[in-house]
Amino acid sequence: MSLLYSLARALDRFSPAPVAYAHCDIPCGIYDPHHAQMAAHTVVRMIDLINQLEKPGPNATPEQRQEYNAKLARYVFVKEQHAEIAKSEVRILWGDYFKPDHLKTFPDLHDLVWKALKSGSNEDLLKATNDIASIYWKTKGLETITVKAPYPTERQTVYPKFR
Amino acid sequence: MFPLRRFRIEDESMRPTLEPGDYVLVNRWAYRVRRPRRGDLVVVRDPELSDRFLVKRVSETEASTQIPLEGDNAAVSRDSRAFGAVPLDRIVGKVWLRLKP
Repeated sequence: MSLLYSLARALDRFSPAPVAYAHCDIPCGIYDPHHAQMAAHTVVRMIDLINQLEKPGPNATPEQRQEYNAKLARYVFVKEQHAEIAKSEVRILWGDYFKPDHLKTFPDLHDLVWKALKSGSNEDLLKATNDIASIYWKTKGLETITVKAPYPTERQTVYPKFR
Repeated sequence: MFPLRRFRIEDESMRPTLEPGDYVLVNRWAYRVRRPRRGDLVVVRDPELSDRFLVKRVSETEASTQIPLEGDNAAVSRDSRAFGAVPLDRIVGKVWLRLKP
C-alpha cells in the first residue's frame, strides 16, 4: 500500500474525504419491489376514497357539487398517477433486474408482469405487485410473509422475512 | 483557499484509471491559468445533483465555456452524452495525483 494512499485513508478518520463519483448509467443492482407495492396501495386507497365519497343528492347546492367534483378529480388524478408509478417500477424490475435464469425457476413471471401492466389502476394491481415481490424475494433467497399492511388500505401485502 | 483537495472515488465509470476506493488530489487552481484540455481528469459538480461530485475526463477541447466530459469506461459511464457539456464554473479542479492502494 502506497504511503500517500495510507495517509489519505488515515486522514479520513479525522475528516472524511468527499466522494467523487465515477457515475455509471448501467443498472446499479439496487432494486426493491416495495416501490411498486406502495404505489399499488395508493391506487387501492384512492379507489376506497372514491367509493366512500358521498355523492351530491338532487337538492345539493352548486357549492356541494363543486366540492364533490373537486375531491373526485383529485382522487382520480392521484390514482392514475400512482398506477403509472407502479407500472414503471414493475417495468424496471422486469427489464433491468430479472434475468433469463430467473424465468427458468419462475416461468409465470412474464405473465405476472403482463397482468400487473394490464390491471392498470384497479385493485388487481396490488395482487400482481405482491406476486412479483414474492418472486423477487425468492430470487434473493428470502422467504416472504403475507400480512395486513399497516396502511389505511389494510390489504394483504408481501414482505420479505429478513433474518 | 488551499488549492489541493482530496476526494475518494466511488463507482466504476473511470475504470481502469480509477477504481472505487482510490483517492485523488485535485488542484482547484489548475484552470485559473489555462482552460481544460482534452484528456484532463477533472472533478465537477454533478449537473444532475448539485451536492454531488463527479470525476470524469474532458473529451474535447472547444473554444467555449461548455466542457464535454466522458468516462473512461464509456460503456457504463453516465456523462456528457447524457447530460450535455458542463459549464466551466462547475469544474472543481483538475486531478493532480491519483492515490491507489
